[in-house]
Amino acid sequence: MHDLIQKLTALPWDQAPQWLFLLPALLMLLAAAAAVMLRNLIHCALCLTLSFIALGVLFIALGAEFVGFVQLLVYVGAVTMLILFAILLTPASEVAASNNPFRAFQLSKAINAALGGGVALLVLAGLLAAIFFSPHAREAVPPAVAATAPAKAIGENLLNHTLLPLQGTAILLTAALIGAALLAKEERPS
Amino acid sequence: MNLPGSGIFKGMAVTALNFVGSFFDPKREKRLITEQYPEERPTLVETSRSFPFLIFDNDPETGIRCVACKICEKECPPQCIYIVQDKDANGKAIRRPAIFDIDISVCMGCQICVEVCPFESIRMDNIYEVSSYGRFGDLVIHKNQLLKSNEYYRQIHPTEAAETDARIEAARIKKAAAAKAAAEKAAAAKAAKEAEAKAAATTTQPEQPAQ
Amino acid sequence: MNFLENLPLAAKQLVLDLVEWICKWLCAKTGVTPPDWLIPALLTLVSILIVIVAILGVYLAMFALMSVAERKILARMQNRYGPNRVGFFKWRLCGLFQPVADGIKMLTKEDIVPRGADKIVHFLAPVVMVAPALMLPAIIPYGRGMIPVELSSGILYFFALGAGTELAVFMAGWSSNNKYSVMGAMRAIAQMISYELPLVMSAVIAALVAGTLSPVGIVEAQGGYAFGLLPKWFVFTPWGFAACVLFYIGALAESNRCPFDLPEGESELVAGHLTEYSGFKYAIFFMAEYVGMFAINGMLVTLFLGGYNAPCPFLEWIPSWCWFFGKLAFLAFTMVWVRATLPRFRIDQMMEFAWKFMLPMSFAALISAAAWHYAGRGAQAWGISALLVGVPYLLLGYFCFTRRHSANNRPYLFSE
Repeated sequence: MHDLIQKLTALPWDQAPQWLFLLPALLMLLAAAAAVMLRNLIHCALCLTLSFIALGVLFIALGAEFVGFVQLLVYVGAVTMLILFAILLTPASEVAASNNPFRAFQLSKAINAALGGGVALLVLAGLLAAIFFSPHAREAVPPAVAATAPAKAIGENLLNHTLLPLQGTAILLTAALIGAALLAKEERPS
Repeated sequence: MNLPGSGIFKGMAVTALNFVGSFFDPKREKRLITEQYPEERPTLVETSRSFPFLIFDNDPETGIRCVACKICEKECPPQCIYIVQDKDANGKAIRRPAIFDIDISVCMGCQICVEVCPFESIRMDNIYEVSSYGRFGDLVIHKNQLLKSNEYYRQIHPTEAAETDARIEAARIKKAAAAKAAAEKAAAAKAAKEAEAKAAATTTQPEQPAQ
Repeated sequence: MNFLENLPLAAKQLVLDLVEWICKWLCAKTGVTPPDWLIPALLTLVSILIVIVAILGVYLAMFALMSVAERKILARMQNRYGPNRVGFFKWRLCGLFQPVADGIKMLTKEDIVPRGADKIVHFLAPVVMVAPALMLPAIIPYGRGMIPVELSSGILYFFALGAGTELAVFMAGWSSNNKYSVMGAMRAIAQMISYELPLVMSAVIAALVAGTLSPVGIVEAQGGYAFGLLPKWFVFTPWGFAACVLFYIGALAESNRCPFDLPEGESELVAGHLTEYSGFKYAIFFMAEYVGMFAINGMLVTLFLGGYNAPCPFLEWIPSWCWFFGKLAFLAFTMVWVRATLPRFRIDQMMEFAWKFMLPMSFAALISAAAWHYAGRGAQAWGISALLVGVPYLLLGYFCFTRRHSANNRPYLFSE
């Protein structure tokens, strides 16, 4: 009992923040992989939601509370609903093998898998190269930037430095809203 | 001017008055009309019915009106009645049921057995507290539980009981009158026969003094 | 009375001291010398646990009490008694032990999962519903210095967790393999998303005037008294009153309460997305709904009703946490009151109300609040803001309700 306590207390507890990062990151990767590989579309969408939640947790763990909560609010609350409604409201997407127009381009399952895996590896290699050869790669993780009032800092930045993109985004979203309402409106026979 | 939302406030005022009134209204006994069940039983109307029961006149052993004719068993739509006729010491069937079971989990209270009984012996009861803990067989009522006196019947359905009693009384009077008429007729026939025999005897008598 | 005010914090400190004493005694007894960081870490852990247990205990007790109080209050408003039998041993206690009976009933019911249901999603839907609901009470200030987690963007945390509820409703409806469940879930989600906009806008209004997203900051901004007597709660300002009413209606819609309980109305869609849930899972949904209702009422109290502030200086001897829970109880009572008064909305009436009336009103309240702030918060500012709220209210009311529903203008959609 005594040496159990000794062993427990000798663990590197000050490395805990790294595990805090590792767990959501792992969860996010697994969920994203599941989202691509699962058979049932709704399961895929729900795994994607899990990866969104894990990303939000990552943001919060890194100290960016505002971004983390907004990620949860927007992605889980709105984008997920959008994806789920889109899956539900479109007809069943089990395309029969004979109707598939791309059948001529399919070689065989193994070659398809190899091609897809190759493309994925290329993309991954490119991302890793970009990360490791960028100038900020070898610096230590900076301390939490906005310790006092992140929302205020973000707000000031948005409304002072990046005002034009903000207004542009607003116009874009309004146009999207009007477009969606117009598309959904039924034609009344007059 | 009708502000949007004013209707809601008027409704909420009514509800609030109801709420406060249910505590402080002096007439709240009449206002809250809930019957607290096991302490206050509901008053049933006279024609309410639930399950059948058998009537006996004075004594549960000898006064059973049922003669085990099995008409109600045949006519019952869900077939919930089971009757076995009684036998006397010699094995001869007598007009009394030995077994009379009604499965009240099957009985639907249609009163057809009451309508077809020629002996006014099965009537509808109005009991409703017959739950049991078992699901299979606990709701079969046997003869000794089904037998209830005519006094009980008069208590629960006074008008029907009066009607039935009147009918039975009328039938008895008619039967007695018919029996009396038959007895008189038989007596008259017997007297006529005696008179005839006497006449026959006296007609043979005057033959003798002629010699 | 400072003693009553500090009672919860003092109790927590007492338990912490007790734990520390036990640890030290154990160490002395067994001769183990712990490293320096162990006992403070342990005390932090115990402190967090105390807060969690206290909040969960209070919320679950409120849930139990609310379920029976709602039935009894509804009954009294409908001229009948509510449940008045379940008591403790021989005493009837006005039926206040009814939640115990209800809990036993729900726990002993058979848990039926439909054969064609998606088992994993069907199992996870109550989990996804109740986990965010139980995390909601963490950022509400219950009294002076009594907030479990002090986040600088607490309001945002609150609405981020509300998104979890919608996901859970969808999962529940879809996984039941039942078309009524899916329809109920769709309607429930449409209702929740539509009413979330005015809800968030109203919260933003309060955050705007207080200048901070932190709940403690908003409550402190409503402290103090105008003219030494009147409270400075946001609900007593024109824009604050409008925003409070909008938030209250949004809260009714988010918790699926009457008159917005179309998703769970029995005469509409059996039980909507909850049709295929029985026993403990249904109890979990029920509990999550009530805990969410209390949390959102707590947020209303924080944002508009002054949080734990007393209404006038000579009532300040009542502790701040008493004021908070008193206001919360009053809001719960009004929710039951509204339930007893209003019939249920139809889905198209609900949508129309949210998008055509509540959203423009919330924008009008936002502009009014901004005008109040920038006009200097003086008498002139009050007049301007009252106008900026009152005129849209009358116009919208006329154009959306009075004119449309007048006898010659009523839209009959399907009866030709």
